[in-house]
Amino acid sequence: MSTSFLRSLRWGLFIAVAGMAMGACDEKLSDLTGPTPNLKPTLSSIQSEIFSQRCISCHNGTGRFLPSVLNLNDGSAFANLVGVTAIQKPGLQRVAPGDVENSYLIHKVEGRAGITGQRMPLNGTALTSGQIAVIKRWIELGAPNN
Amino acid sequence: MTRHFSTALVLAAFAWGAVANAQTAPASPSPQSTATPPAAPAEEERDDAVLNRSQPDFTLINLPTGLRMPQWKSAFRITHRFTRPLGDGSFGNLAADAFGLDSGAVIGMEFRMGIVPGGQVVFYRTNDRTIQFSGQYDVKQQSESFPLGIAAYVSVDGTNNFRDSYSPAVGAVLTREFADHGAVYLEPIFVNNSNPEPKELVDDNDTFLLGIGGRIRVRPTVYLVGELVPRLSGYDPKKTAASFAIEKRAGGHAFQLVFSNTFGLTMAQIARGGEPNSSGGNNWYMGFNISRKFF
Repeated sequence: MSTSFLRSLRWGLFIAVAGMAMGACDEKLSDLTGPTPNLKPTLSSIQSEIFSQRCISCHNGTGRFLPSVLNLNDGSAFANLVGVTAIQKPGLQRVAPGDVENSYLIHKVEGRAGITGQRMPLNGTALTSGQIAVIKRWIELGAPNN
Repeated sequence: MTRHFSTALVLAAFAWGAVANAQTAPASPSPQSTATPPAAPAEEERDDAVLNRSQPDFTLINLPTGLRMPQWKSAFRITHRFTRPLGDGSFGNLAADAFGLDSGAVIGMEFRMGIVPGGQVVFYRTNDRTIQFSGQYDVKQQSESFPLGIAAYVSVDGTNNFRDSYSPAVGAVLTREFADHGAVYLEPIFVNNSNPEPKELVDDNDTFLLGIGGRIRVRPTVYLVGELVPRLSGYDPKKTAASFAIEKRAGGHAFQLVFSNTFGLTMAQIARGGEPNSSGGNNWYMGFNISRKFF
């Protein structure tokens, strides 16, 4: 075999290995989302992993005032959140598509200064930073009804 | 497991190169001397063990150089960055803290070995438990007929002692030497998974960066070294990483006093940029690198 052939073969192998290395990697989202390892930045996932588990006992659309007037049941959450003005903070939307900072949902689950009432969820432990990060990402992506 | 397999294959690729080069491998290199190397029009005639005054070491400050490692020879390096920002507090406070000596530090230890003519592999571990494996292969040497040296570069780092979050990188090291006066470098490098967040939560998970650097010989054994790492596309948080150093060579040793705005030591860390201060400028830190060639 000629030296040039061997050199070409060696380079081919080198590039192939480099390409394989490119396919490696990345952190697991499940490592970040703690108690809800299946949580993804989609509304359906947030619905099943968070709203339906932690929110709908109060926010279920059965009343005329907060908290029950807010309906986070499956099939109703999108219409009740996205682009809807927050009752407690009329200058903000509950979820402003693409705008985390102006989404009152985030203010409430993070317990930021300036919120009316208490940090959500009201009972039990607060959402973890990883869970909140996933909700933020859903909002950053435009809060689609997916 | 796949990542470990990939790393093993990188090493295997270089080992293959050793077989392929068997016919053209030079005789055992002579011990390093201070003699100026003769012109080397043909790749096979270069003696990699002879000191190259224009690029005396295998790294600038954090970035690789195009210096070739003699086959089966090795080198060791320690990197050290104090974590106290030089801009915090008064000069008196800074002096009282011995310019950062009293603070914590980001430390790395590196071992590299030439395993084929023109090819080397590197093991590097930092004290945040990140391990980086890298390899470099000299594709083309600068000569009278070709103005640049070109080396291919590939690396992969993994956090938690190479058990989590792998960030592979591939690129090139372009070198232009200026006789014995120094060298300048351009290093286009693509870094995958430069963003430490899961890909589901980020817009950009890769960085294409361009390392720009140089080393100028200002005294027979003293150099000024600098490097800048702008991110051309992809994930580019914080500030453009920049580092400067004064370097003293003593035989096979080189000592660098470093001033840098970044703690980035592996390629993925470098891609994450330099540290901003509270007013949006750069935080600068002092540190040092010590390297030793075993040839």
